[in-house]
Amino acid sequence: MMAVLALGLAYPGFLLLSLAMDRHHRDLLGGSPGRVRRQLCRIGGWALLGLSILPCFALWGWSFGAVAWCGVLTLAAFALVALTTYAPRAALLVAPLLPALGGAAWLGLP
Amino acid sequence: MKEGFRQCMAWLHTWAGLIPGWILFAVFLTGTAAYYRGEISAWMRPDLRMEDRGPEAAMLGVRELQRIAPDATGWIIGLPTESDPLLRLYWRPPGERRFRDGILDPATGRVAEGGETRGGEFFYRFHFELHMPPIWGRWLVGFCAMAMLVAIISGIITHRRIFADFFTFRPGKAGSRSWLDAHNLLAVLALPYHLMITYTGLLTLMTMYMPWGMQLAYKGDQQAFIAEALSIAPQPRPARETAPMTDIAPLVAEALRRWPEAGVRRIGVSFPGDANTTIVLGKGDRHELAIRRRELVFAGTTGELRLATGNDAPAAQTVGVALGLHFARFEWPFLHGLFFLSGLAGTAMVGTGLVMWVAKRAPKRGERRSFGLRLVEALNMGTIFGLPIAMFGFFWANRLLPGVLDQRPAWEIRIFFALWLAAYFHASLRPGRRGWAEQAGLAAALAMLLPVLNMLTTRHHLGVALPAGDWLMAGMDLGFLGFGLAFALAARKLWPRPGLAVAAARNRQLREEGA
Repeated sequence: MMAVLALGLAYPGFLLLSLAMDRHHRDLLGGSPGRVRRQLCRIGGWALLGLSILPCFALWGWSFGAVAWCGVLTLAAFALVALTTYAPRAALLVAPLLPALGGAAWLGLP
Repeated sequence: MKEGFRQCMAWLHTWAGLIPGWILFAVFLTGTAAYYRGEISAWMRPDLRMEDRGPEAAMLGVRELQRIAPDATGWIIGLPTESDPLLRLYWRPPGERRFRDGILDPATGRVAEGGETRGGEFFYRFHFELHMPPIWGRWLVGFCAMAMLVAIISGIITHRRIFADFFTFRPGKAGSRSWLDAHNLLAVLALPYHLMITYTGLLTLMTMYMPWGMQLAYKGDQQAFIAEALSIAPQPRPARETAPMTDIAPLVAEALRRWPEAGVRRIGVSFPGDANTTIVLGKGDRHELAIRRRELVFAGTTGELRLATGNDAPAAQTVGVALGLHFARFEWPFLHGLFFLSGLAGTAMVGTGLVMWVAKRAPKRGERRSFGLRLVEALNMGTIFGLPIAMFGFFWANRLLPGVLDQRPAWEIRIFFALWLAAYFHASLRPGRRGWAEQAGLAAALAMLLPVLNMLTTRHHLGVALPAGDWLMAGMDLGFLGFGLAFALAARKLWPRPGLAVAAARNRQLREEGA
C-alpha cells in the first residue's frame, strides 16, 4: 500500500506543476495564476515529486526503488493527463485523496 | 545544408520511425505480453500448475526423467515459481543436439499428454526472432531497435515544446493535431522506459551484433568468453560407467538454505546415470535487479559440493542490471504492472506515430489517395488492430483445438498468422474508418468472450478463480475483459454514424458556400 503513498505524492506534484502553467490553470481553476501562486506551485510541485522517491526506496530498496520511482512518475503523469482531459473536477479531487489514502495505509490504519 | 538542424531531425524521425514501425509495433506488443509469459503459459495449461517449488518438485522431476529418458546425455528441470508455476522437463536423447521438452502433470507425476502449446514462450521468442530463423530474426529486430533508438533521440530533438506541452492533450482537435498530442504524451511521459527498454534490448544481443571486442580479447574463442562471463561450470567428461545418482532433495534443501529468498530455478544434470555425472543448481532471480548466474555444482553420485560459481566483476554486474531491467523477472506485482503499462505506452507510441504519418498526409477532398498512402494505411490497420486480433486468436486456438493433435503447438501458431494475414487483407479491401471500426469490433468480441470460452472449457473460470483467490487465472481473464472493453470503446468511437456524416457534409457544404 506504500505504493499508493508514492503515487499520492507524485500525482499532486504533477498537478501543482501543471497549475503553474497558464493553459492548465485556466482549464482547472479558471484565470491565469499570479506570480506568487505560480512560484509556489512550481516549488511545491518539484518538492512533492522529489519526496515521492522516499516511499519507493522504503518499499523496494535502493535499486528497485529508483526503477519503481520512474514508473510511479509515469503512471501519475498519465493519470493526471487522463483526468484533466476527461474529468477535470476529479483531477482536483484525487490530489488530496491519494496522499490521505497512502498516508493512512502507511500508518497502518484500517 | 539548407535546412535547419531541427528539420533535419524531423525528417530523420519520420522515416526512422515509419520504415521499421510495423515491426517495432509487433516487437513492443509481443514483448509487453511476454512480461506475463509465465502467466500466459499457465493460463493455457491451468491444470498443470504446481504449488510446490522445493525439494519435492525436484524429486518428481528427476523420477519422471529417470523413467522417460534414462539414457539422455543431459537433463534440465525448470522448477515452478509463483509467476511461472509449471514444472518443465528437458532432456537430450543420445546422439541428438536439441533438447526435447515436456511439462510435468502434478496429478500423475508424468509428462502431460495433450494440450501442448508454446504458451507465453511464443510471444517471448516472437518479440526478438519474429518467428524467423533465429539469426535472421535477431538481426532484423536489431536493426529495427537501432532505428528505434535513432527515432527516440531525433524525436526528443524535434519536440520543441517538451516542457510547455508536458501535460497537453487536446482530443477532438482537427486532423493530426490530437494524434500529435497523444504521440508526444505517450513518448515523453514514459521516456525513461522507452530509452531503457530499447537500449537494454540491444544489449541482450550485443555479443551477436558487435562481437569484435570479445573476439579480440578471447582470440576468437567464444566458448571461453561465455564460460567466463556467465561463469558456467565446465562440463564433465562421461566415465562410461554407470553409477546410481544421489538423492536430489538434500541438494535442493542445501541450495535453499543458501538462497532462502531467491530459491532454486533450474536443475541441470550432465550425463545422468554416469559415474562422472554432475548436478548443477541455478539460483532464481526473484528479488534481485541484476541478473547474475549463480550455480552450485554437486558431484552427481556422492552429492558432495564441488563448486559455487558466480561472477561479481563490475562488467558482469553492469550487464546483469541491464538484463534485469529488460527481462523484468522480479516478482513484485506492482512493479511488474508498471513495466507492463509502460510497455503498452511504448506500443501505443509507435502506433500513434504510424497513424499520424497517414493523418498528416490525408488528401484533400476530391484528391486521389496515392498508392503509398493506401499501402501505409493498410499496413497500419493490419498491424495495430490485426496483431491484437491474432494474439487473442492464439488464446482461442489454445482452448478450441483438440487436446491430442499432431503438431498442436504449430497449429496454434498457424492460426495466429492466418488471422494476422486476414487482417491485412481486410485492411486493404476496406480502407478508412469503416475498416478500423470492424477490426476493433472483432478484437473486442474475441477478447471479451475469452473468459466465457474459458468458463466453457476449463474449471478455472472467473466464477471459481475469484472466490478462490486464484489471481493468476482471474487476472488473465480480467485482463482480457479490460482489453476487450478498450477495443469496444475504440470501435464505438470509430463506427461511422450516419447522423454524424450528414452533419459533417452539411458543415462542409456551408463552409464551401461561405468561401
